[in-house]
Amino acid sequence: SLTISFGLINILPISPGWRVMLQNSPQVFNWLNCMAEENILAQNCVCVLKRHVTNVLKDGRRVVIILEIEVIKPAGEVGGKLGDPVPYNEGKALKYFIIPLTAQKVVSQPAPAQENRLPLQPQNKMEVKSFNRDFGKKAPLAMPSTPGGSSKVVPIASLNPYQSKWTIRARVTNKSGIRTWSNSRGDGKLFSMELVDESGEIRVTGFNQEVDKFFSLIEVGKVYYISKGSLKIANKQYTSVKNDYEMTLNGESTILPCEESGDVPMMQCDFVPIGDLESRDKDAIVDVIGVCKSVDEVTRLTTKTNREVSKRSLSLMDMSGKLVTVTLWGEEAEKFDGSGQPIVAIKGAKLSDFGGRSLSASFSSTLMINPDIPEAYKLRGWYDKDGHAVEGQSLTELKGGSGGGSTNWKTLSDVKNEHLGHGEKADYYSCIATVVYLRKENCLYQACPNQDCNKKVIDQHNGMFRCEKCDKEFPNFKYRLILSANIADYGDNQWVTCFQESAEAILGQNAAYLGQLKDSNESAFDEVFQQANFKTFVFRNRVKLETYNDESRIKATVMDLKPVDHKDYIKSLIVNIRKLAM
Amino acid sequence: MSRIEEIKARINCSMLLQHINQAVCFVGRVSKVHPSGKTFTAVDGEGKTVTVELNCCLEEELSGVVEVIGLVSNKGVLMAATYNLLREDRGTPFDLELYNEALKVIHDFPQHYPFEAAVSG
Repeated sequence: SLTISFGLINILPISPGWRVMLQNSPQVFNWLNCMAEENILAQNCVCVLKRHVTNVLKDGRRVVIILEIEVIKPAGEVGGKLGDPVPYNEGKALKYFIIPLTAQKVVSQPAPAQENRLPLQPQNKMEVKSFNRDFGKKAPLAMPSTPGGSSKVVPIASLNPYQSKWTIRARVTNKSGIRTWSNSRGDGKLFSMELVDESGEIRVTGFNQEVDKFFSLIEVGKVYYISKGSLKIANKQYTSVKNDYEMTLNGESTILPCEESGDVPMMQCDFVPIGDLESRDKDAIVDVIGVCKSVDEVTRLTTKTNREVSKRSLSLMDMSGKLVTVTLWGEEAEKFDGSGQPIVAIKGAKLSDFGGRSLSASFSSTLMINPDIPEAYKLRGWYDKDGHAVEGQSLTELKGGSGGGSTNWKTLSDVKNEHLGHGEKADYYSCIATVVYLRKENCLYQACPNQDCNKKVIDQHNGMFRCEKCDKEFPNFKYRLILSANIADYGDNQWVTCFQESAEAILGQNAAYLGQLKDSNESAFDEVFQQANFKTFVFRNRVKLETYNDESRIKATVMDLKPVDHKDYIKSLIVNIRKLAM
Repeated sequence: MSRIEEIKARINCSMLLQHINQAVCFVGRVSKVHPSGKTFTAVDGEGKTVTVELNCCLEEELSGVVEVIGLVSNKGVLMAATYNLLREDRGTPFDLELYNEALKVIHDFPQHYPFEAAVSG
């Protein structure tokens, strides 16, 4: 922040504070202040303006609010005016300095008499009025009603319910829309926002009149002075903001734009090194930053509720030399541009144990590309110099599983112990298992020859086959597979049903050929099943509790299967073993 | 030869000296074959070398990854009782470094890899 030194030319008592004229060649300023006894602002002293902000009034005049000032040379030592100051007139605009309520006491020294230059300053009344108009308060913000009034800027981290007179200077990192409600007690509306400063962050809510007063004034990304909100214990259920308290705006609260906002951080992030993610619990909410080493194409998948959603995976690496896969969803996934290996920061990403450790950006996460923060510059420097050559070790091993959904690795005993499929919706999981039994009886059925129809046809016993769905008769059919199999791993086994594609993959033959064999060469047909037995695959299964005639049974279906990539699998096992040992 | 029935710990070069006079199983890549055909050196997944002595001359070209079962001499030489070449021309090449990582796991957690119990039972 800026430090300016001034010579104090004059000091005037202007109830309830002081107005002082300062000189800083060639400009002359006026301002009001309350000064501590020790730090007396007396005529001709030299002072340093330590912290201030400039605000532009509606009529174009500028107001400078001084937050911190220090006398570096008391008046006595200076001995008279410095030079020959003249008033500064920026055309019609005149500058004012106003110090908001400070914690300091009123100067006990009486103010010296007026200088003849003072008449060049606008009338007191005008100033007071303009303050009133612009700051929207009954009394000018700058004039403390009591000398001990306290609107010194304090850090967000120090806010608590036991002090009501404070001012914070913070950036708005997000703002909700206006939400309204209507119940037996009446109607209401609210909005909420999150603020961040160098010390921390806090969630703020405004109700009813405060919505009208402040909602349109607040712009995300801008910095404001906020005073006198009410603090209470935070309801952490609704937010991931790290603060024990949250703020509610009330009738006394004020929000003023702050021009000098350079040093207020854009976002409060507590970045976890990617290498440390292994030791965090799954489902933890974390902030991460890294270089986007690679990014996949956007894919679209249908969720279990038959909704289409876009998905994209990217690989993040940081100076720990570790990589992690991050999944983006929806519009964020579609719009993401990973070209040039940008620095990507995510606040509030969800950590999961998919593939070991992986991250997902949920709707409550904030994604930043090349953010203007020191950590980003550090990473960029490291990557350009050394990091680009680092191969890195990914925490998200085993990219197996089907194209849709993130991999959810389970053992077969996990599936039973965790009661997967017992919920309202089906559960999906991936596992590595070995085929231990294949039921060759009734694995083939005669299906409608129409390309898009797989319904079982009825043999009319006259050379024709009828499809009820297509409402047609055909002189032929196509064989399709429904294969019942038992798969097992070290801990448990599972009966699964494999439909056409997965059945053909297990058996290594297509349905048509198998149908032929079954009709013509039993032993060859049997041989296919023999060969297929005891093969190990990566299965992606769907499991759901189904009720049929008062009987509930878990039905497992193979959605996809792949051969095991042993190297990947071994690496993953070693990672998991080492993790268990930690 | 009778000692082949013993439990053979899987080791790499750094574990040789802890297994003196014991039957071991070593996997490594053939490095140099002595002209006499009676001895060769092999490199493990950590890049360390061991000398393997055979009880009879080599009758074939030896190269690639080999699995040797034998006794460790006082001097840390592997006195081979039998060896076995792991073919790499079919499918996936043998990843010696990964094998070494797995080996370390077995040795770091002997309580979970009770090979002795398995053999005796």
